[in-house]
Amino acid sequence: MEYFIQQLVNGITLGSIYGLIAIGYTMVYGIIGMINFAHGDIFMIGAFVALISFIIFGLTGVALPVILLLVLLIAMLFTACYGWTVEKLAYKPLRGSFRLAPLISALGMSIVLQNYVQVAQGARVKPMQPLISGGLEFFKNSEFVVTVSYLQIFIVVLTVILMGIFTYLITKTDLGRAQRACEQDRTMTALLGINVDRTISITFIIGSSLASVAGMMFVLYYGVIDFYIGFLAGIKAFTAAVLGGIGSLPGAMLGGLLIGLIETFWGGYVSLEYKDVAAFSVLIVVLIFFPTGFLGKPDIEKV
Amino acid sequence: MSNLLSVENLTMQFGGLTAIDNLSFDAKNNEITSIIGPNGAGKTTVFNCLTGFYKPTNGQMFLHKDEGKISLRKYTDFKIAHVAKVARTFQNIRLFPAMSVLENLLVAQHNELMVASGYSLFGLLNLKSYRDKEQLAVDKARYWLDIIGLTNRADDNAGDLPYGDQRKLEIVRAMCIEPKLLCLDEPAAGLNPKESAELNKLLKFIKTEKKTGILLIEHDMSVVMGISDHVVVLNYGKKIFEGTADQTKTSKEVIEAYLGVDE
Amino acid sequence: MEKKDIIQSVKDSLFTGIIALALFGPIVGLRTASKGEGLFITPQWGLVFILVGLCILGRFLINLNSARKTEFTFFSKFTSKLSSVTEEKAKHLAITAILFAVVFPFLPFTDRYFMDVAIMILTYIMLGWGLNIVVGLAGLLDLGYVAFYAVGAYSYALIATTFGWSFWICLPLAGIFAAFFGILLGFPVLRLRGDYLAIVTLGFGEIIRIVLINWYEVTNGPDGITGIPRPSFFGLPFKRSPDEGEASFHTFFNLEYSTMHRIIFLYYLILVLALITNYFTLKIRKLPVGRAWEALREDEIACKSLGVNPTNTKLTAFAIGAMFGGFAGSFFATRQAFISPESFTFIESAIIVAIVVLGGMGSQTGVVLASIFLIGITEMFRDLEQFRMIAFGGAMVLIMVFKPKGILANRKPTILMHGDKK
Ligand SMILES: Nc1ncnc2c1ncn2[C@@H]1O[C@H](COP(=O)(O)OP(=O)(O)OP(=O)(O)O)[C@@H](O)[C@H]1O
Ligand SMILES: [Mg+2]
Repeated sequence: MEYFIQQLVNGITLGSIYGLIAIGYTMVYGIIGMINFAHGDIFMIGAFVALISFIIFGLTGVALPVILLLVLLIAMLFTACYGWTVEKLAYKPLRGSFRLAPLISALGMSIVLQNYVQVAQGARVKPMQPLISGGLEFFKNSEFVVTVSYLQIFIVVLTVILMGIFTYLITKTDLGRAQRACEQDRTMTALLGINVDRTISITFIIGSSLASVAGMMFVLYYGVIDFYIGFLAGIKAFTAAVLGGIGSLPGAMLGGLLIGLIETFWGGYVSLEYKDVAAFSVLIVVLIFFPTGFLGKPDIEKV
Repeated sequence: MSNLLSVENLTMQFGGLTAIDNLSFDAKNNEITSIIGPNGAGKTTVFNCLTGFYKPTNGQMFLHKDEGKISLRKYTDFKIAHVAKVARTFQNIRLFPAMSVLENLLVAQHNELMVASGYSLFGLLNLKSYRDKEQLAVDKARYWLDIIGLTNRADDNAGDLPYGDQRKLEIVRAMCIEPKLLCLDEPAAGLNPKESAELNKLLKFIKTEKKTGILLIEHDMSVVMGISDHVVVLNYGKKIFEGTADQTKTSKEVIEAYLGVDE
Repeated sequence: MEKKDIIQSVKDSLFTGIIALALFGPIVGLRTASKGEGLFITPQWGLVFILVGLCILGRFLINLNSARKTEFTFFSKFTSKLSSVTEEKAKHLAITAILFAVVFPFLPFTDRYFMDVAIMILTYIMLGWGLNIVVGLAGLLDLGYVAFYAVGAYSYALIATTFGWSFWICLPLAGIFAAFFGILLGFPVLRLRGDYLAIVTLGFGEIIRIVLINWYEVTNGPDGITGIPRPSFFGLPFKRSPDEGEASFHTFFNLEYSTMHRIIFLYYLILVLALITNYFTLKIRKLPVGRAWEALREDEIACKSLGVNPTNTKLTAFAIGAMFGGFAGSFFATRQAFISPESFTFIESAIIVAIVVLGGMGSQTGVVLASIFLIGITEMFRDLEQFRMIAFGGAMVLIMVFKPKGILANRKPTILMHGDKK
């Protein structure tokens, strides 16, 4: 029982990270109907920017909350630049091209980003000393002590706050309306005088910033990163997006949680070696039996 | 004339929207039955149900063949064309644009050719039996191309044809599966008057020479009134009128549905 | 050009510079390096300024150019020339190319290195041709093709090391195994929309790799399988000192022993395998099933309305593609004599897909050109291990942006009513 609760806590933490990445997939898919294959690598870049800033601020001796806030903002800003540039360079020229072209281009971009970081930062894994330590302990007199670390609380709370802001942005502002209009019919939206290019750019910016927050959490949580983390995390987050129903924002968050839980429980109860197989199998099973996910719209092809 | 198709109490709902509401009608052998109605009346949806693209919420559709009647509900997508022999065209033309005109017509004969090629084995061995069958298929394609006057463009990409020719090609492509029933979704849309007259001729030819029943969705009244033997009028998914072309022209309900009534 | 334009493009270039600074600043400028306990930052601002400068300059030049409306002429001229060759000429070109490939090992400048690269290129050509059936003809984006390559390699290795059967028995078996896996995967997933299919196949490729790493009893895990039998020339091994009473290739033919013999044999082996793949694809493309593949790629709904069974048709494409992947895998195993899961990562799938798409979907010649081009590029950057992958990914993006249909985009009908007019 205690073990179960511990796994649950770990799963929710991991799920928050996946959920934040998944939002980027879902939004981009919603608006331009492509799988942004490079999104996982954007997340990886976010993690690197966060790591670098942590090192720099770590030397200054500023108070921890201030550091966290600064790193958060810096990671979001710089990573958003990457998201924006990738869209401009590799996807925008391909709008209206044949359907596999953007996917291939995204694949190329993903390879470029990975290897670029490998060249610039070296191939070795980057360890970082834990910044936030300690936590709350439960069931102290049982055999298995459940620990909820402050870091886990930080991650979950930050995710909830961001989700709140983000939901507000999408449902209540002009930007959100423009975005939803673009999802429905891009040509018509453009005819109505909305700057579609700009809306798409902003979508990439938001998606990348959220991914960078996930990257920062990843650095804090695992304490090591390398240039390759984007691949697996990206695939899992994409699975999360599909599981929740691609195109649906609450779905992405829900899917993220589910994937996080599935992965942790599989690793905790079944087999640690095959925990990635679990994620991929879930992806395959979901797509086959549940292609619209939990919160997605049904997708009857009009003929 | 005997019945070819009977639709009984067909209902199709999308979530809360009832696109077809308890629709029943018959179509007879060797006749052109038109389905007309304002935009969004549910005409295309009827086709999608008949040809297995949608599964109706309720109701039955029977095709009367020499061997007896078969229920179309039993067949899904490709089997409707393959087994039940119901062919269709689409409101937005769906050719294989990057393939040649001839190839388009050969894909329509896919199932016979697959058998003839021994599921590719005889074909890979280049046996004469297969080459002969392939020649027959090409001859059939040529026959239809002669009729629509596109023989000289047989080797061009279907996507490069002018719009009107693409429409005609889609119709003869459907005819290449030798259907019992041919469903045409707005074949005259976007045609000029001359092309529309040619279309009328083609449809009459299919009806009389090929003994194929035709179900026709059309907004162009000159086509509908010129060639229909029977007209079914839909509005908001319901059948509001059924009769001959002349009766339809003078029906009060139909005029109201199209023009609206002053309250 | 007007003054206004110049000012505009200077402004634009400066903006590019700011963005470039934001991009390169942290990632390139602040290199992390571990020293003892923790990580430290080594600044490399010089590099950043060079990169930013290059971006500004590049952007400015592009702006100047686009004002003059010059186009990417060289590239498009070259490819359009290639696309417009007639059937007759294409045949001549193909024959010349094959002849060149046949005499290649005996050309004066050909050395061991050239042979190795040539074998590698031919392997990719074969894989590209195999995948071309799936991606190019049937339009199914398969990002897990390496899984079938792996299944072929491992089944070859396991059969050959366990039973000691010869290459020519193991090869078809490995192909059949791979095809079987193709069907196993294809059956549930081929209903999926294009990009979902891509992700699922990618997942499948990863699952196979993870299983190969962890299933110690059979695959020997990350250590891989060693001692895979080398191929022999119709029973004659390529050994320096054959066993007692056994002939080897050089003793049988009275030649001086040379390691090149085996390399040349492998070269011809993969050449023949690749040509078989090509011949098969060209043939089957003209059969009903091949036309149905292309029709499905064009419009699946129309196919259904004509009675074409989409699932079966796609499944054949998948299985046949997988089979050729399996053949190539067998070749890989016998050539290396050692295989491990490391050789079958996602990047391999990406390379093969890139070859097919960059070549021009469905174009057999395109696959050859793209293989030579991409492998050539990566070979040129050989000493700069990671730069070569950047170049590779960059080439993928660039070709998609400038030629989204690939280098050779034209398609010849599979059958003509009026014969070749040109
Ligand atoms: N797949 C679907 N999902 C949801 N609603 C649908 C779907 N297909 C059709 N509809 C709805 O059903 C109604 C009837 O549509 P249908 O296409 O059959 O009209 P129609 O009579 O063919 O009109 P038109 O003359 O414009 O072609 C419309 O309100 C349409 O929006
Ligand atoms: Mg309609």
